[in-house]
Amino acid sequence: MGQQHLAGPVTGPVTVALVEDHQVVVDGVRSWFSPPGPVELVAQGPTIESVLGTAADVLLLDLNLNGTMVVGRVAELCQGGQRVIVFSEHEEPETVRAVLDAGASAFIGKGRATRDSCLETIMDVAADRPNVTPPMAQAIATDERPHRPQLSDKERAALLFWFQSMSKASVAARMGIKERTVRQYIDRARIKYAAAGRPAPTKEKLLICAIQDGLIRPDEVTVYTSLAARSGEGPGAGAGS
Amino acid sequence: MIEDIEQVAQRYARYTALGAAVIAGFWHVGYDLTVTVAGWRDFRWPVAAAAAWIVYTAIAVIATLSLARTSRGPARIRELAVAALAVDVAVIVACRPGDLLGVSDWGWGSVGWLGVMLAWNRPRWRTELIAFLAANAGIMLAAMVVTGTLDRVSIAKYLVVIVGGITMQLGYTAGCHTLRARAEDAVVLARRLAADDAWRESARRIHADRLRRYDAIRDAAESLLKQLADGADPGDHRVRRDCTAGAMRLRRLITEREEVPDALVAVLRERIDAAERRRILVTAPPFGGNLPELPAAVREDLLRAPVRALDGARSRARVTVSAMSTMVSVAVVADNDDLPVSATPVREPSGVVVTYQRQGGEVWVNSIWQAP
Repeated sequence: MGQQHLAGPVTGPVTVALVEDHQVVVDGVRSWFSPPGPVELVAQGPTIESVLGTAADVLLLDLNLNGTMVVGRVAELCQGGQRVIVFSEHEEPETVRAVLDAGASAFIGKGRATRDSCLETIMDVAADRPNVTPPMAQAIATDERPHRPQLSDKERAALLFWFQSMSKASVAARMGIKERTVRQYIDRARIKYAAAGRPAPTKEKLLICAIQDGLIRPDEVTVYTSLAARSGEGPGAGAGS
Repeated sequence: MIEDIEQVAQRYARYTALGAAVIAGFWHVGYDLTVTVAGWRDFRWPVAAAAAWIVYTAIAVIATLSLARTSRGPARIRELAVAALAVDVAVIVACRPGDLLGVSDWGWGSVGWLGVMLAWNRPRWRTELIAFLAANAGIMLAAMVVTGTLDRVSIAKYLVVIVGGITMQLGYTAGCHTLRARAEDAVVLARRLAADDAWRESARRIHADRLRRYDAIRDAAESLLKQLADGADPGDHRVRRDCTAGAMRLRRLITEREEVPDALVAVLRERIDAAERRRILVTAPPFGGNLPELPAAVREDLLRAPVRALDGARSRARVTVSAMSTMVSVAVVADNDDLPVSATPVREPSGVVVTYQRQGGEVWVNSIWQAP
C-alpha cells in the first residue's frame, strides 16, 4: 500500500476511502473522482469504523462526524501507516497543527477545495510527496510553540503568501523569484515541520521521499530524533538520521 | 461601581497610613515635646534631648511625605531606622541615670511609632517592624543593665511600657493591614464580577448576532427552496451560485469560535456580511482567536485597503487573516476591477505595509503589521 514513490511509477488509479457523514459532500467527492480519472473511491462511510479494514492508498477524513470532532483519532489511524488526508471546514491553525502533529499527511479546507486542488493533494500524498494546502501553509507559518521547526524568513513568507494570495505564481511575483523556487520553499517548510513533529510512519515516508528527491539532506533531519528524545516520547525512529 | 470600590480601597490604604502619622505626630508634640520643655532642668544634657526631638521630627516628616505620596513607608528605611534608634539612645543618654524609667525618658516609648511609619505597607513589614521594636526594647534593656536599674519595680515598669507600646503599635499596624487586605479583596472580586458581566454581555451580543445571521440564511434558504420547488433548474448557474453562497455563510457560522469579538475581526465580519448582501461569493477561513492587541491606528491601516478591495468586489472575494504574537496580516483576493493599485509597497505611518498585485482578473491586497 502506497509504495509508488519508492517502488516505481503508479500502475493504476490511486485508491481512496472517504469518511464523511454528509451525503451531499459524499456525492460531490464521488463526482470529482468519477472514472476515468487518476483517483478511485473504493469505500465510503459515515464513521471511521465503517471504512476500517479497507485497503486504500489514502483515507480522506472529515473531522466533524455526527457532531463529534475526531481529531483525537487521527494519530491512531496514522500509526498503522495509513496515509490520512483531513477534509474539513475547521481550518483554524490550531486544529490543522493538531492533525498534522498526529501524522496526517495533508489538510484540505472544504471552504476553498476544488476538484483539481483536491486531486493534486491526493496524488502527492499517495506518492509520499510533500503537499502544502493553504490551511497547512497558514498553520505551519504561524506556529509559535517552543518545539516548532526553525523556518527561514523566505520559507515563512512563501507559506503566508501562499495562504493569502491567489496562486503560487502570484507568490513568485510578490517575492521576485521563480515559481519553482516558491514550491521549494513551501515544500522544505513542510518537510521541516514533519521532521520536528511526533513520530508517525506516514511522516517517515514523507521524509524518506524528500531525501530521495533531494529536497533535504539526511543530516537535516537530526532535529527529529533530538526532539523525540528530549520529550521522552519513546525511541525516535528518526528517518534518515 | 468598580471605580467606587477601588476608590474606597485606595482611601483605606491612604487614611490608615496617615492615621499612623497622626498618632505619631500627636504623641511626639503632645507628650515628647511637653516632657522635653517642661522637664528641661531634669535632663543631664537637655540639648541632646532637644536635638533628639528634632531628629525624630525630621524622620517623621520624611516618613509622612512617603505615606502621603504612596501609602507606603520610604523605599530605603535602614538609615532612617538606625537614626530613629539613635534618637532612643540619645534621649537615654540625655536623662540622668536615675530617670531612666522616669517621665523624662520619652524616647523608648515613642520611637516605636517611627518604626510603624517606616515599615508601613512595605513587602516585609512584619519582619521589619518586629525587628525595629525588638531593637528598641533591647536598647532600653541594655541601658538598664548598664545603669544597674534591675530592681523589681523597674523591671515591672519596663515590661508595662514595652508591652503596652508594642501592643498598640503592632496592633494598629496589623489591624489596618487586615482592613486594607479586605478592601483589596473586595476590589478583586468587583473586577471579576465586572469581567463576568462584560463576558456575558459580549456572549449575548454574539449570540444575538448569530441568530440574526441564521435568520438571514434561513430566509435565503427558504427562498431558494421555494424557487426549486417552483421548478427552478438546479443546473442553472445562478441557482447553484446562490446555493454555494448560502452554504459558505452557514459554514462560517459553524466554525466561528471566538467568545469575545476582536475589533479587527468584527469589522471584517461586518464587511463580509455587506458583501454577501450584494450577492458576492465570499470565502473566509476561520480567523482564529489569537490576534494580538493592536493600536487603533494600526488596525485602521490594516483594514483600509483590504476592505476597499472587498467592498468593490464584482462577484467573489476571499478574505484571510494570519496572526502571530508579533505579526498580523490581512488579505483580500477579489475580482475588483476598479481598485487603484500601487506598483510598490505603501508604507503607512503606523508601520503597516500594504502591497497590491493584479493577476488573472483578480486583485490581491495584503496589509501586514509587524511589531517593532
